Amino acid sequence: MEMAFLSLKERMTIPTYDDPERCTSGRVAIDHERCNGCGNCALICPGACLYVAGVGKDKKAYMIDKPVPDCMSCNDCMAICKRGAIRADVTYDFGGFYKVLHRGELCPPRNF
Amino acid sequence: MTETMDKEIDVQDEDEAQEQKRKLGEMYAWQEGMSWNPVERVILERRSVRKYKDRQVPEKLVRRVLEAGRFAPSAGNSQPWRFVVVRDREMIEEMEKYVRLRCRVLKFLLNWQESPLGRLAWLNSQVSARLIPNLMHPIPFGAISLIADGKLKLFHGAPTVILILMDRRGAAKPAVDVGICGQNMVLAAHSLGLGTCWVGFVEVFKFGTKWKKKLGIEWPYRLVEGIALGYPVGKPDGMIERELREIDWWEDGRKRIVF
Repeated sequence: MEMAFLSLKERMTIPTYDDPERCTSGRVAIDHERCNGCGNCALICPGACLYVAGVGKDKKAYMIDKPVPDCMSCNDCMAICKRGAIRADVTYDFGGFYKVLHRGELCPPRNF
Repeated sequence: MTETMDKEIDVQDEDEAQEQKRKLGEMYAWQEGMSWNPVERVILERRSVRKYKDRQVPEKLVRRVLEAGRFAPSAGNSQPWRFVVVRDREMIEEMEKYVRLRCRVLKFLLNWQESPLGRLAWLNSQVSARLIPNLMHPIPFGAISLIADGKLKLFHGAPTVILILMDRRGAAKPAVDVGICGQNMVLAAHSLGLGTCWVGFVEVFKFGTKWKKKLGIEWPYRLVEGIALGYPVGKPDGMIERELREIDWWEDGRKRIVF
């Protein structure tokens, strides 16, 4: 667990959002065994981070190759995927002033 | 004869009702290990919809959604909201075009990665991030470029748009009340089979004299949020994973941390 603390230095730093060493964007994990390349996820991704490539059986979804993609780990792709092939596995943290505090793990709704 | 038949139907109805209850869980009561009740389902399964069918939403449905907004709780019952419903396709397209042009200007001024201004754009972005940190958060910042490049449409092609104006003279915290009102509408819309998406970028319309007049953004009103409304393409709804957040839990005089 990260320390839930924002230091003065962090507070004063506005990150420049293109350096992957200083900030983490969201990231999705795509299970290519299950993905059939239907492209629904690419269609609805608000950050335009997903694309479909390949022909026939090799048609699969991929995440775009960009140092800091616009993925905000909203998991809309997970909701629309009928085959359960995609899910966000890293949530974003832009660090510095925008550092995310008090975070836990990714977890579906819990039925208490 | 008819009596026994009626009884049989009654029994059947009862069975069906029981089955329904088991499936949906009961409302207004909690039991150990029960499944989600219908309201919880609506809350947990609603996803923001960003791809809509061309089919227009019936007027009655929109009126019903607005009714849910009207009965939202507000501080001192001040109801500090005013709704503008836009169902004119041409107008929606014009609005999208306007915001795209504005985003192009913003991108030119702020996006140091692609703007010809280079270092100056970087300086602009750093200064504005300190002045308006919420609007310059990396996510809306990225959205500016996506809209400018035409990769993201303002209302995602929704056939109906509800704009919420806030009365700035509302009791206590009108912005919060407007949010509550909007969430009521969004959840009601989802429960009726519609898709919705919050659109905060509508704030840009305050820079356009023509739009200010057309949408009634004049004192005491301020345009704060928009809601895109329409029938979703495919089945975008469902439960997903979200990050847990630490909760401070005070009980018996000491603090625990729970998730």
